[in-house]
Amino acid sequence: MLGDMRRIVWTAAAALLALASACRPRGGCSGDYCGTLVVALTGEPDVLLPPITEQSESQAVLDQIFLKVADLDTTLNTFGDSAFTPLIARSWEWADPKTLVFHIDPRARWQDGTPVTATDVAFSYDAYVDPKVNSPYAGSLRQISAVTARDSLTAVFRFRQHYPEMFYDAVGALRVLPAHILRGVPREQWATAAFGHQPVGDGPYRFVEWKPGDHIELAADSTFFLGRPHIRRLIFRFTSNQQVAVSQTIAGDADMISFLGPPDVVARARAAPQLALYPYRGSVHTDLVFNFVDPADTTRPHPLFAERDVRRALAMSVDRARLLQSVFGNLARVPPGPMTPMWWIWDTTLAQTKYDTTGARWLLERQGWRDSDGDGIRDKNGVKLSFHLLVPTTSGLRRQYARLLQDQFRKVGAEVQIDEVEPNVLDTRARTGQFDAVLASWNTDPSPSSGIAQTWTREGFGRSNWGRYYNADFERFLAQAESSKTRPQAARAWRGAMQVLNSDAAGIWLYAPDNIAAVHRRVAGVVIRPDAWWALIRLWRIPGDRLIARDRLER
Amino acid sequence: MGAWLARRSLAALAIVLAVVTFTFLLIHLAPGSPFLPPPGRPVDPDALLRTRHTFGLDRPLPVQYVRYLAALLTGDFGPSYSRHETAAAALAGAIPNTLLLAGAALVIDFSLGLALGCWQAARARRAGDVIAGSVTLFIASLPTFWLALVLLLVFGERLRWFPVGGLSDPVTYAALPWIGKLGDRAWHLALPALTLGLVGAAGTARYQRAALLEVLGRDFVRTARAKGLRERRVLLVHALRNALLPFITLAGLAFPFLLTGAVLVETVFAWPGMGKLAADAIFSRDYPLVTASAVIGSAMVVTGSLLADVLYAVADPRTRVPAP
Repeated sequence: MLGDMRRIVWTAAAALLALASACRPRGGCSGDYCGTLVVALTGEPDVLLPPITEQSESQAVLDQIFLKVADLDTTLNTFGDSAFTPLIARSWEWADPKTLVFHIDPRARWQDGTPVTATDVAFSYDAYVDPKVNSPYAGSLRQISAVTARDSLTAVFRFRQHYPEMFYDAVGALRVLPAHILRGVPREQWATAAFGHQPVGDGPYRFVEWKPGDHIELAADSTFFLGRPHIRRLIFRFTSNQQVAVSQTIAGDADMISFLGPPDVVARARAAPQLALYPYRGSVHTDLVFNFVDPADTTRPHPLFAERDVRRALAMSVDRARLLQSVFGNLARVPPGPMTPMWWIWDTTLAQTKYDTTGARWLLERQGWRDSDGDGIRDKNGVKLSFHLLVPTTSGLRRQYARLLQDQFRKVGAEVQIDEVEPNVLDTRARTGQFDAVLASWNTDPSPSSGIAQTWTREGFGRSNWGRYYNADFERFLAQAESSKTRPQAARAWRGAMQVLNSDAAGIWLYAPDNIAAVHRRVAGVVIRPDAWWALIRLWRIPGDRLIARDRLER
Repeated sequence: MGAWLARRSLAALAIVLAVVTFTFLLIHLAPGSPFLPPPGRPVDPDALLRTRHTFGLDRPLPVQYVRYLAALLTGDFGPSYSRHETAAAALAGAIPNTLLLAGAALVIDFSLGLALGCWQAARARRAGDVIAGSVTLFIASLPTFWLALVLLLVFGERLRWFPVGGLSDPVTYAALPWIGKLGDRAWHLALPALTLGLVGAAGTARYQRAALLEVLGRDFVRTARAKGLRERRVLLVHALRNALLPFITLAGLAFPFLLTGAVLVETVFAWPGMGKLAADAIFSRDYPLVTASAVIGSAMVVTGSLLADVLYAVADPRTRVPAP
């Protein structure tokens, strides 16, 4: 009886397996325009409406669906307009120093067949700066006074003043939107409009489907006016965990991941025979930021860090190169200032605080910080050289660094208590000045101007200048840099500004990781733009002789 | 029975209301704020204030609470701040996935746990039982998150027997016939369900072994053996039937456990269920989605518990509370 039962179960299982294998889909696509690229994302886009979101996962998808007027090339030179590639605009000219005229490519079409016009450009600008839309990019367009459509193929941008990065400000954030579709949607409702989950764009890829929590699929627009994309299907898989995204790529469930992370993960990916690794300049830098004001009363100076020599002594007690080597190996650089290697102002010849524990002890002694009670921690007038360091629970790297820093500071008689909090809490506490010191990671855009200004000037108080640092000399250099006529002039001003920050020891610049992407070897023509790894996917291809089963599959 | 059921249902409603209130207060009083930009990006305080005003977060908390309750009574869970859709729509997509995962895990939990418990009881205090007992104790003590990562690395990344996360194969799924779709879903479900089910099964096996051993010492089992019945029949027909009653309680308790475990398992395996949704909502301070998840989660748990009580009362009339 039991034997019969077993036979039935095994036969049924075998039949099911045979049926399932017979049901495997077969594909017939061949040639150079097949190919499916599965991208492992470590997060899910929140919405697919360009002015609403600044999440990088959303940008990765949006830049395939919506075009900008023009875009940066891989040099990332935001100074002037020489490093920009035409997209919707076929060409542009300066009517006068404050008026920029774009000529729209007459071949550009929305994916419903409607031509893209200058009216769409003007409509998009209007939406981006409309408080009802509440776009996070409105600030980057503040120097533009108006955008108008001179005729259907000519868009005119008028600026409030002339400055070197005005072209970047005009095109860097603005993605052109279909006025004929969105005009009918009340702007207050854009954030939840159906369009944001089923967009119609003018880019190289069309939206196909969004399975919440799982993936978004796009299909190449074979009529795309700048050339048909070679990769036919583009699938973005979501995970909320970097480890899982890496495992998916190594296991072959995904074809690429844009960022591998620490050396052990890079080694795992390198061992996967099907993957090729592509290093590119990172856009993130991590600093220890001192608070210049007292967390208990933000109108008073900080009891420890208002003293420049205390900050300098702490900066001198950190062996940044050794810490970086032990954590990252060769996968990161010690920043010469609060900057990333992606910025053109990266300059390793800047004067920096040297690692010198003897000098650090001497500085502290000179300022009266001595260990009066023999507990290993210096004190002065009853105040201990002891502070709290804020780090996010979600960043293993920063937590590891916090411990290493704690050890280094202890050697010069400073005590650090590490406060691990979730990122949302860290952000709120940092913005309201409720901290002594914080390990802050900044994800920057290609232009140094906006990031530096928001983080180290009075303009950033209550925003990103968490420590409320202020130095009039620094702000003067910054103003010079932002209004310089030539790049060498700007470089000199930037150098001056960074020297002031370094001399003030406004923070300790810890690491700027280089990024490494892993992409399946069958993908050719992989070029990664450091600020947006996804920007050139439309030019990637999978040659006909390298297609695998999933590339040929018809949907 | 009717009055008892009505009383239990009212108590269940009161529990859900209490959960709503506590969750609402806790998430609003927790430090942090919704609508913050992604980490590492600057905040625009003016835009933040405008958004908070749009969603009524600048009003006093009691006013927000009353407005929330009033909306909830009409079935409106409010908008999800982080997902740009309604909280109800976000949950509607996630609940079936969680139920599928929890259901599959429950099947693994009970079938494996029951079988192992019986097997151990049949050879109590012998080598096999001791080894199995140690193994189940080890598995029951494993953190779910860790077990999930290990299974994923070994069976997903190294051996490639199972996919590394996800609900289905995004490349092939749409082109598959229904039987293929079913197989694909089962293939993707295997590791997360196994993770959740294994930990539960370890506990169930220990519980079942103890329940059977207690029954095996009773008179009616001795009588069955005296009648000359085979040991397998004594165990599986006579003893097991009587040892199954506490199992109903265990089923009622298993559901909250599975929902809690699902948060971790869904996160590791990128399974788009309610647990992952709620965890993401907590990190982004998506107040309406967090509260809505708590409402649905607590409703599921009290319903499961109520169902278990009803089944228990049906199966064992001694447990019914007599009418006054």
